[in-house]
Amino acid sequence: MILLESNNYIIQTTLAEKLTKPSSLDVQFVDFDDVRFHLSTPERKTQLVLSMSIRCWDELVRYGVHSILQREYGSMVKAQPEPEYNVSLELDLEQFPADPEARESLIQSISLLKRNVLAAPFETAFTTQKELAAAGSGQGELLALHYRDEEAIYVQASFDRVTVIFSTMFREETDRIFGKVFLQEFVDARRLPTIQSAPQVLYTTNTPPLELSHIPDLVQTEDVGYVTFILFPRHFEKQPIAESTISHIQSFRDYLHYHIKCSKAYMHSRMRHRVSEFQKVLNRAKTEVATGERKTVSGRSLVR
Amino acid sequence: MSVLAPIICDNGTGFSKVGYAGNSDPSFVFPTAIATRGPASQPTRGGPPVPSKPGSLASKRGVEDLDFFIGDEALANAKTPGYGVNYPIRHGQIDNWDYMERYWEQTIFKYLRCEPEDHYFLLTEPPLNAPENREQTAEIFFESFNIKGLYIAVQAVLALAASWSSNRVTDRTLTGTVIDSGDGVTHVIPCAEGYVIGSAIKHIPIAGRDITQFVLNLLRERGEMVNVPPEEHMKVAGRVKENYSYVCQDIVKEFRKYDVEPYKYFERYEDEYSVTGKKYAVDVGYERFLAPEIFFNPEIYSSDFLTPLPEIVDGVIQQSPIDVRRGLYKNIVLSGGSTMFQHFGQRLKRDLKQIVDRRLENTSVQSGSHMKSSGVEVDVISHKRQRYAVWFGGSLMASLPEFYSFCHTKAQYDEIGPSICRRYQIFGSAT
Repeated sequence: MILLESNNYIIQTTLAEKLTKPSSLDVQFVDFDDVRFHLSTPERKTQLVLSMSIRCWDELVRYGVHSILQREYGSMVKAQPEPEYNVSLELDLEQFPADPEARESLIQSISLLKRNVLAAPFETAFTTQKELAAAGSGQGELLALHYRDEEAIYVQASFDRVTVIFSTMFREETDRIFGKVFLQEFVDARRLPTIQSAPQVLYTTNTPPLELSHIPDLVQTEDVGYVTFILFPRHFEKQPIAESTISHIQSFRDYLHYHIKCSKAYMHSRMRHRVSEFQKVLNRAKTEVATGERKTVSGRSLVR
Repeated sequence: MSVLAPIICDNGTGFSKVGYAGNSDPSFVFPTAIATRGPASQPTRGGPPVPSKPGSLASKRGVEDLDFFIGDEALANAKTPGYGVNYPIRHGQIDNWDYMERYWEQTIFKYLRCEPEDHYFLLTEPPLNAPENREQTAEIFFESFNIKGLYIAVQAVLALAASWSSNRVTDRTLTGTVIDSGDGVTHVIPCAEGYVIGSAIKHIPIAGRDITQFVLNLLRERGEMVNVPPEEHMKVAGRVKENYSYVCQDIVKEFRKYDVEPYKYFERYEDEYSVTGKKYAVDVGYERFLAPEIFFNPEIYSSDFLTPLPEIVDGVIQQSPIDVRRGLYKNIVLSGGSTMFQHFGQRLKRDLKQIVDRRLENTSVQSGSHMKSSGVEVDVISHKRQRYAVWFGGSLMASLPEFYSFCHTKAQYDEIGPSICRRYQIFGSAT
C-alpha cells in the first residue's frame, strides 16, 4: 500500500453490512487529523445518522463547504447537525438504490465525506485562479486551514498557478530527519522522465516561504517544516484530474507520516536481521577449551 | 479539544479484533494473517532487501516492504502467484516481529485511519507472556509509531472486566476464573485481584476447530454430506455448529426426544455452491446437541484427551491458593466464540456444583459428621458480549477516566526506556 485511500473504510464496511442486515447501532470513530465520526440509529433501524466533527469547520464554512455538501449529498444533509458535531447526514437505508452499482457508488460517496468537506478551499482556489487567469494578473486571498493543533494548509490562487503550502510539525528528532530525507527525495524524483509533469515541490525548514511572510503569529521553531506545492492549470483544468489532485494533496501530511513510519519499520527489520546475524557470529566465536591431558596425583590420566 | 478515543488492539492467534474505545463491538475483526512477496516460509537468508546502488529514488530500492496485504485481503491473495501467507502470531505469542510491525502499520493507517501520534493504545497479551515480548512491543509502538501512551493488558483480566456488563454481576471484582475458548485452544485461567495465577493455568486441546471437525465427522457418518461439494464441507459444518447447536442437560433424554419426534427437532440447512450456484440441503440432527458435548464428554471425539471441562476447572481452582478459591468458584466467566452455545453456562455450573458438593460431602463423612461445610457458591456468568469479551473489556477499561493515569506515556518511555513495560501494571480492581 503506497498511497493512502481517501475514503473511510469503517463507514464503507458498516454501511454495506447494515444494508444487508439493518440493526441498531451506535459507534464513534476517528479519521486522520482529529476528525471524529459518530454513526448511530437514533429512531429506527433503517435510519442512520452520520455526524462528523472537524476542527477547522469555521474556516471551511467561509470557503463554501455548504455548497459542496449540497452538491454531493443534497437532501441527506441535516439542517441542524447533532450537538458536538459540525455536520450530520441522514441516511435512510430504505431509500438506497437497489441497483448494486448505484448503491456502491452512493456508499463510496458517503465514505468520502471528510475528503469532500476538506475539498472546499481547493475548489475555491481553483475557481479564483480561473477568474484571475481571465483578468491576466493578480493574486487571490490566502486561504488558511488550521486542520491540526500546530499545523495548517495554506492555499493561494494566482493568475497562472495555485500554491499549496503545508506546515508540518515533527515531534520527534528522528522523524524530522526522516522527513527531511524524504522530502529531498521528492525533489530528486521529479527529475525522472516519467513524472516530469508532477507539481513542483519545495521544502524549507525554519523560515516560512515568502507567501506566508506577512502572517504574524507563525510558529518558528526547529521542528516546523514547510512544503510548497505549485499546481499549474494542467493539474486542475479537467474535472476528474482536479478531483484526484484534491484527494491526493489533502492527504499529503498523512502520506508523509505514514511513509516515515514505514521507513522506520523497514529499518527495524534490517536491524533485527543484523542482530541475528551478529548473534550467529558470536555463538561461533567461542574460545577453544584447552584440553591437555591432565594427570592425577598418582600419575594416572584424569578422565571425566 | 477532548482527547481522541484510545485504540484497542487485541491480536489473537486466529483473529485480530481492533477498534476504538467506547464502542460495544470492535470495528474490525480479521484474520491475523499477512501476505507478503516471496515464499510463505521464513524470510530469505539475506534478510530484507538492501538498497543496491546510490542514485535517484526509484533505482535505490523497490517498494517490496510496502507490498503486502493483511487480514481478509491477505487470505484472498494467498493464491496470487508471488505472495505467501504468514501468521505472525503463534500460540498467542508474537513469533515474527518484522511481520507484526508491518501488520500493525497497515491496521492503523489503512483500517483504523488514524494518526497514531494522537492516540493512546491498549494492547492485549496472553497469560504468561514473556517480559521481553512486552518490551519489544513497547519499542515498536513508541519508536515506530510515536504513540501517546500504551497500556498492555492481560486478556483474561479484560474478559473478567467484560463480565461487569452482565446484570447478574453486582460487585465489580477482578477475582474469578476465565474460560477462554477460541478457535485453537481453550484456556482455564484463574485470576486473583487482577493478577493471573500462572502456576494453575490449564490448557485444553479442544476448541472451535475441533467442534467443527466433530460436526463434520457426524454429518459424514450419517451420509448427509454426499450432496455437498467437498470444498464446502468445512463451511457447512461451521454454519451448522454456529446456527443450530446447543448444550443439552441430559444426553440420553435428548436422544430419546429426537427419536420420538424427529420432525420437531431435526433442522434443515440449505445453501448453494459458491462456484456453480447449485443448491443443496443437509439435515441437521443429533449434531445439534452432540457438538458442544465434547467439552463435557471428550471421549466421544478424541482418545488422547479425556478430562471433561468441569473437572479441569475444578482442578485449576483447587491448585490456586486456598484464600481465593471461594472467589474463583463464585465468578466463572466465559469468553470467546466457542463458549457461545446456548445453556453452556448452566451445564457447566451444574456439573461443577456436583463435583464440589460431592467433595464437601466426602469431607463431612470423613470427619465423622463433626464438620459441616456451609457450602460453596458456584456461579458461571454468561453475558451478551462473550464473543469479543476481551476486546469489549478493553473498550470498557479504556473509556474510564483513570485509564490515562495507568498508561505509560511517551515522555516516560523517552526517559526510562522500554523497561517501563516490563512489569505488568494492575488496573481496574479499585473501581
